[in-house]
Amino acid sequence: MTDTAISDYPNPLPRPASELANLERAWALPRGLRILTAVNNTVIGYFYIGTAFLFFLLAGILALLIRLQLAVPSNTFLSQETYNQIFTMHGTVMMFLFAVPVVEAMGVMLLPQMLGARDLPFPRLSAFAFWAYFVGGLVFFSTLFFDLAPDGGWFMYPPLTSTRFSPGVGADFWLLGIGFIEISAIAGAIEIIVGVLRTRAPGMSLQKMPIFAWAMLVFAGMIVVAFPAVILATMMLELERAFGWPFFIADKGGDPLLWQHLFWFFGHPEVYIIFLPAAGMASMIIPTMARTPLVGYELIVVALIATGFFSFGLWVHHMFTTGIPAISLGFFSAASMAVSLPSGIQIFAWIATFASGRLRFHTPSLFVLGFVFIFTLGGLTGVMVAMVPFDWQAHDTYFVVAHFHYVLIGGMVFPLFAAFYYWTPAFSRHPLSERTGKMVFGLMFVGFNVAFFPMHLTGLLGMPRRVYTYPAELGWGTLNMISTVGAFMFAAGVLVFVVDLLRRFRPTMSDSAGNIWQAGTLEWLPNGAYAARSVPRVTDRDPLWSEPGLSKAVEAGRWFMPGTLTGMRETIITSTIDAAPVYVLRLPGPGWTPFLAAVFTAAFFLILTVKQVTIALTCGVLAIAMMIAWVWPSDPPSAGRVDIGGGIRLPTTMRGPRSQAWWAMAVLMLVAGSLYLAWVFSYLYLWVVFPAQWPKPQAAPLHGIAAAALLVASGIGVSLAGRWLPRAFGPWPFALCIGASLIALCTAPALDITGHWNSGWRPWQDGHSALVGMGLVLQGQLTLAVAIMTLFAIARRWAGRLHLRQPVVFDNVRLLWLYTVAQSLAGLLLMHGFPRVAT
Amino acid sequence: MIMRRAMRRFVLTVGATLLVLAAGGFLFAWSGLYNIAASRGHWAIVEWMLRFGMTNSVELHAVAIDPPDLHDRDLVTLGGNHYRGGCAYCHGAPGAKANPVSQAALPPPPDLSAVSDNWNDSQLFWIVKHGIKYTGMPAWVSQNRDSEVWAVVAFLKAMKTMSPDQYRALQPAPPPSAPAVEREAIASCGGCHGIPGERPRTGLVPVLDGQKRDYLIAALEDYANGARESGMMQPIASDLAPATIGALAAYYADRPPLEPADGISEADAEAGRALAIAGQPEAGIPACNTCHAGDALPSYPRLAGQSASYLAAQLRFLKAGARGSSGRSAIMTSIAQRLSEPQIDAAAAFYASSMPEPAAR
Amino acid sequence: MKGIRPYLVITCSIALAGCEGTQSALDPHGPAAARIAILTWFLLGLATAVLGLVIAATWLAIGGPDSVRGWLGRQRTVVAGGIVFPTVVLSGLLIYGLWLMRADASTSTPDLRIAVTGEQWWWRVTYHLGDGRAIESANEIRMPVGRTVALTLTSPDVIHSLWIPSLAGKVDLIPGRSTTLRLKADRAGIYRGACAEYCGGPHALMALHAVAMPAQDFASWFSAHGATLPALDDAQTRGGQLFLSAGCGGCHAIDGTEARGIIGPNLTDLGSRQTIGAGLLPVSRENVARFVARGQHLKPGNRMPQFDIFSDEQLSDLASYLLAPKQSEPHD
Repeated sequence: MTDTAISDYPNPLPRPASELANLERAWALPRGLRILTAVNNTVIGYFYIGTAFLFFLLAGILALLIRLQLAVPSNTFLSQETYNQIFTMHGTVMMFLFAVPVVEAMGVMLLPQMLGARDLPFPRLSAFAFWAYFVGGLVFFSTLFFDLAPDGGWFMYPPLTSTRFSPGVGADFWLLGIGFIEISAIAGAIEIIVGVLRTRAPGMSLQKMPIFAWAMLVFAGMIVVAFPAVILATMMLELERAFGWPFFIADKGGDPLLWQHLFWFFGHPEVYIIFLPAAGMASMIIPTMARTPLVGYELIVVALIATGFFSFGLWVHHMFTTGIPAISLGFFSAASMAVSLPSGIQIFAWIATFASGRLRFHTPSLFVLGFVFIFTLGGLTGVMVAMVPFDWQAHDTYFVVAHFHYVLIGGMVFPLFAAFYYWTPAFSRHPLSERTGKMVFGLMFVGFNVAFFPMHLTGLLGMPRRVYTYPAELGWGTLNMISTVGAFMFAAGVLVFVVDLLRRFRPTMSDSAGNIWQAGTLEWLPNGAYAARSVPRVTDRDPLWSEPGLSKAVEAGRWFMPGTLTGMRETIITSTIDAAPVYVLRLPGPGWTPFLAAVFTAAFFLILTVKQVTIALTCGVLAIAMMIAWVWPSDPPSAGRVDIGGGIRLPTTMRGPRSQAWWAMAVLMLVAGSLYLAWVFSYLYLWVVFPAQWPKPQAAPLHGIAAAALLVASGIGVSLAGRWLPRAFGPWPFALCIGASLIALCTAPALDITGHWNSGWRPWQDGHSALVGMGLVLQGQLTLAVAIMTLFAIARRWAGRLHLRQPVVFDNVRLLWLYTVAQSLAGLLLMHGFPRVAT
Repeated sequence: MIMRRAMRRFVLTVGATLLVLAAGGFLFAWSGLYNIAASRGHWAIVEWMLRFGMTNSVELHAVAIDPPDLHDRDLVTLGGNHYRGGCAYCHGAPGAKANPVSQAALPPPPDLSAVSDNWNDSQLFWIVKHGIKYTGMPAWVSQNRDSEVWAVVAFLKAMKTMSPDQYRALQPAPPPSAPAVEREAIASCGGCHGIPGERPRTGLVPVLDGQKRDYLIAALEDYANGARESGMMQPIASDLAPATIGALAAYYADRPPLEPADGISEADAEAGRALAIAGQPEAGIPACNTCHAGDALPSYPRLAGQSASYLAAQLRFLKAGARGSSGRSAIMTSIAQRLSEPQIDAAAAFYASSMPEPAAR
Repeated sequence: MKGIRPYLVITCSIALAGCEGTQSALDPHGPAAARIAILTWFLLGLATAVLGLVIAATWLAIGGPDSVRGWLGRQRTVVAGGIVFPTVVLSGLLIYGLWLMRADASTSTPDLRIAVTGEQWWWRVTYHLGDGRAIESANEIRMPVGRTVALTLTSPDVIHSLWIPSLAGKVDLIPGRSTTLRLKADRAGIYRGACAEYCGGPHALMALHAVAMPAQDFASWFSAHGATLPALDDAQTRGGQLFLSAGCGGCHAIDGTEARGIIGPNLTDLGSRQTIGAGLLPVSRENVARFVARGQHLKPGNRMPQFDIFSDEQLSDLASYLLAPKQSEPHD
C-alpha cells in the first residue's frame, strides 16, 4: 500500500473554478429524444445491456413454449411448423442476439472505467454497432409473428436450408439478418482490442490490467478470427439460394459438409467467446467478495489465451458422426479434451482465491458459486462427449442439449447475474435487493438443475433433439414433465429479478450507490458522464486497495487531465505494454449520423431479404452517405501539445503505427484476412472432395496476368500519392495520382472477371465455378470499400483537410489498399495457378 | 402549469364535442327520420359524394394492377357467356335492355355498352372482382380466379363494338327435336363448352365430351357446394338440380371423344410425354398416367385431348392451393406443388395433343 | 451402514430399470452399444468423482480448516489441480477412447449388406442378396442375431442420421456421400431407432425398427422365394384392384404386380412390418386405413398426399390387401 504524498500529485489544488464545469459541458448528455444520438460508452452500455437482456427474455419465453409443447407426449399445443420456427429462433436469438451482445455490452459498459479511460476509442462506432443490432434484431425477431421465421435450426445445415427444401423467405431472414449482427460484433471487437491495448491509465501495464480486460482482449481477438468464417458461410448460402451458386449442393459439385466446417470453425470458438468474458467477470467479483487479491493472475491470463487458441482446433467434434476418418476423430477428440485444462486452471485459481480470503455470501457470491458448480458439471459432460464413441450415442440427443445449457447458462448466465448484482451499485442510484437476490438465485439455481439435469438421462434413453413431439410408449413423459416444471421455476426466478430491477434500478451518471462492496478496481471510482474526474497513475492491480486516498484525489482533480484540455471530449492513449502516455485522443460527441447509418444498414439487409432490391440499394447508399458524414470531421487539425499534469505534455494527433486509427485498420485487415483464409480453405476443401470438376486450363491466363500487373501498379501508385500530401502541391497531383491508381485497382477485377467469363466460367454451373465467383466477390467487396475511401480522401484533399499534418485518412486508405492488392494477388495466384498444378 | 390547464380544456372540449356528435347521430338514426327509400333517390350532394369517393377509391386501388392482353377471342367468348347469365339481367346487353326491376335499385346498375370509355382495364378488373359497397354490385364469387375476371373485362371492352346479332350468337340455340337432356346441355353448357361434336368455343374451359361420368358429377357437386372455386361455374352449378347434374354427366360421358386441338408445341409435348409415362421420381412426381389414363378410379378425370390452357391453369391453381377443398384436390395439390413451371406447360401440352381413349363406361 | 444397503439396491434397480427401453443407449443389445454403455457408466462415475472433488475443494476453501485453506490457496495447488491432474486423467481417457474406436473400426467382411437411404421422412431399405440382386423394403431392418450387418447409408435429399441406440452409435446420411454403420445384435428382439439429425417437417416422426431374428428364422425369411402364400380373399382382391386404380402404384411398388413406383416405400411386406408411417403407428387394418385417409393429420407435411376419397368399406378392403402376405421379389 502506497500513499502518494501531496507533492507527488500531477495537478495541484485548488483546481480552477470552471474546469469541472467545462468538463461536464464537453461530456453533457443529449436531452430528451436526442438521447438516441448519444455515443458515451455508459449510455450505449445501458442501451446495449438492456436490449440484450430483452432478447434473453424473449428467447426465454420461446423456451417456455418449447417446454410446454414437450411436457406431455403427442402434445398439440404447438403445430409442427410453429415449433420448428420457435426452436430455431430460440437458439438463434440466444446465441446471436443475447449471448455475444450481452458480454460485449458488459465490455462496452465496464472497460473504459475499469481501465481509467474516459470512453472507448471509437464512440460513434459503438453507437453504430448498437443501433444496427437493435433495429436488425427486433425486426428479425418479429418475423415470428408473421410466420416468416426461419425453421432450419440455429445452425441451418444445408441442403435442408437450400432453396429446394426451404423455399420460403425465413432462411433468407436468418442469413441476411445475421449479417448486421456480425457487423456489430466485429465493430465491438475493434473497439475492445484498441481500447484494452491503447487506452489504459498511465502505469497500468499489461501485468496490472484487470483480469476482465484480458478476458475481453482474448474475446475480441477470437471474434476477429472466428466470425469471418460464418460471414463467408452465410454469404455463400445466400448466393446459393438467390442465384443458384452450388456451394453446398452435392449433385453439382458442392458439399453439405463445407457448411459444417465453416460454421463450426466459428461455432466452437463462439461458445468460448461467450464464456471467457463471463469467466473474466467472475475473476473480478471473487477477489472483491473474498476480500483478497486474485490468486494465480498470471496463470489465469495464460489460461484465457490458451482457451482462445485451443478453441480453434476443436470444431470437428460437432461432426463426429459424419463418417470422417479415424485419425481426424482422434485428433479432435484429444484437442476437445485438452481445452478443458485452461478452464480447470481458472476454477482452481478461484478456489485458491476463496481459500486466501473470507468469502462474504452476498448475492453475487451465490451466483458465482452456482456458476462454479453448474459450469464444472457442464465441462465434465463436455469431456464425456469429447470421447468419440460416447458422442456417437449422445450427439444430437437431449444429452447434448443438457451439456450445452449447463456450460452456457452455468458459464455465462450465472456470472452475468452475479455481475448484475455486483456492478449495479456503480451504475444505479440503488443497488438491487439482497433479499430478493437470494430468492432469485434459489429459484434460478434449483429451477435450472431440475430442468436440465434430467435431460442427460432423457437423451441417453433415446430422445433426439429438435423433435416437436414424442410417443408415449418410449417412457420419456415423466422426465420431460420434470424438465418443464424446472424451466418454469427458472423463469420465475428471472421474473422476480425483473420485478426487482424495475423497482430498484435507476440509471445514473453521477449519483450511483457507490463502492458498497469495497472493491479495488477503477470502475468503482466516483463517476460522471466523463468517467472519473481525473485519470490516476496506476501502480497495482487493485488500485483502490493499495491507495486508500485514491478516490478522493481523483475526484478532486489531482491526477492527470482533470478537465478538458481542448474543449472536446478526450482520453489518454498510452503505450501497449507499459501504458506510458503517448498522446491525447480527442473523441467525438453525440450525433445523428451513427444512428442513421445503423438504421439504413439494417434496412439494407432486411429489405434485401424481401427482394426489394432498388429500395435496399437506396438504403445502402444512404447508409454509406451517413458514414461519410460521420467520418468527415475525423482527424481534426492538431490542437498543439497539451499538459495533462505532472509536466507531461502530449500531442493531440498521431500518425502511423502508434495511432488508434492505424490499429483499427490493422484489426479490420485481420478480419478481412480471416475471411479470405476461410475462402481459401473452402476452395481447397472442395478440391479434395470433388477434384474432377477442377478445370485443366491450357492457354496462359492473360487476363489474370494483366490484372496482377494493374494491381501492383495501383499499389505503387497509392504509395507515390503520399509524396503529394504536403499542402504546397495543391489538390491536383494527389487527386490525379490516387485517382489513376484507383482506376487501375478497379480495372483489375473487371479484367479478371472478363477473362473467366470468356473462358466459359459461369458461377452457377458447379462448385468450383461458384468458389471462383466467391473469390471474385470478396475481391470486389474490398475494391469497392477502397474506392469509396479513396473518393473520400480526394474530397478531403480538395477541402484542404488532408495534408501532411492531417494525414490519417490517407494512411488508412493506403493500408487497406495495399492489403487489397496483396489479397487480390494471392487470389489470382490460387485461382489461376492451382488448377494448373493440381493433379 | 398554464400549458397543462389549457391542454386539459382542449382535450375536454374535443371529447365533449365528439360525444355530442355521436349521441346526435345515434338519436337521428333511432328516430327513423332519414328516408331510406330507394324510390326517393339520393340528395344531389350525397350522390355526388358517393360517386366521387367511389371513383377515387377504385382509381387508387387499381393502380398496381397489370392487365394482360385482352384481345383474345377465348377470353371474350368466356366472358360473354358469363355476362349473359350473370350480368345482363341488371346491366342490359347489346340489343337487350336491363330488366326494369334492376333499374329500380339505388343506384341503378349502369348501362355498360360504353363502360370502357369511363374506366380503364385495371379499374374494370377491380370493380368486377371486388364489387362495390353501398350498391348492388356483388364481388366475384371466388377471389382466387383472376383469369375469369379478366375474361369478363375482355368482353366488356369488346361489347362496345358488338352488334346485337353477335351478342345473341354467344348463346347456341338447341334444336327443338333434340332430347331434353341435350337441349339442357346446349342451353346451360354449350355457350362455353361447345355444341355436340364441336370443341369448346373457348380454349379456357374443359372439353366435357367423353369425360368420366363420376368425375363430372363430382366436379359439379363441388362447384355447387363451394368445394371447388369458380366465379363462373359456382353460380351455374348451384342452380342445377341433383337429377339434372346426373343426367348431364351421363350425357357428356356417353358422347364420343373429340380430336385434339392444333397448334401445340411439339417440344413441350415431348417433354410432357416423359412426365406422363414415367414421372420424375427424384422430384417425387409420379407418372401422370397412373391416375389419369387407363383403368383408374371413376372419379379421376381423363386428360387426353383436353384443352392445354385449361390444364395448365388448373395445375397452377392446384400448385397455389387455390383449386378448392375437396379430398381429390388435396391429392393433386400435393403433387402439383412438386411441378416446376416448364413441367406444367409440358404436361398440359402432352395431354392436349394426345388422342383421347374411347368413351368411358 | 447396513440399513442403507437395501435402499441402495432398490434405488439402483429403479434407476437401472428406468434406463430400459427399446430406444435406450443404456440398455444395450449389441456389442458396440455394450462397449459404449460401459464407457458411459465409467465416465459418469469419473465425472461424479471429479465434481465431488471440486465441490469439496470449494467447500473447504470457503469454510474449511485453516491448514487446508492454506494449502488450497497456493499457486502450486492451482497448477496441480488445473494442469497436472487433468492431464493425467484425460490422457488415460483419450487412450481408452482411441482403443474403443479401433474396436469399432473393424474391416472384416460383413455377413450381410443392406443399403439404407434416408428420405424425407422415411427409410428406404434394400437387402443385397450377394448375387447382384436386391430386395426392397422400408422402415424396418431385419437382421440375424449374432452376425454383423453393414449398412451403407446415403441420402438423396437432406442430411439425416440413423440411430438405433440399443445396438450402436449413430451415423449421418449425407447427400453426395456414402457412410457405413455396422450393426450386430446379441439377442433376438425389436429395437427402435430414429432419425437423429433435424431434417425439417415431421423429423420427429421418422423412426424405424431393427428386428433381430435367430439365424435360421432370418435365413428362411430372407430366402423365402418359393414358399406358397394363401390366395387373396374377395376383400383383398378388391383392395388390390383399388390400389392400382387409385394410382397408388405411381409412388409405391408391390412386387409381382403392376405397381412399380419408386417414389414412396415398397409396400410388399407391409403386413409383416412393425409400423406404418416410419414408426408412427403399429401396423393394423385400422391404422393403415387411418394413415391412408388422414395421413396429413397424423404426420403433417409428409410426402404422401392424403387420400380422403374412399368410403370406409374401400379403406377396409385396401388395408386388408396391404396387410396380406405377399412375395418379395428380388430385382437387379
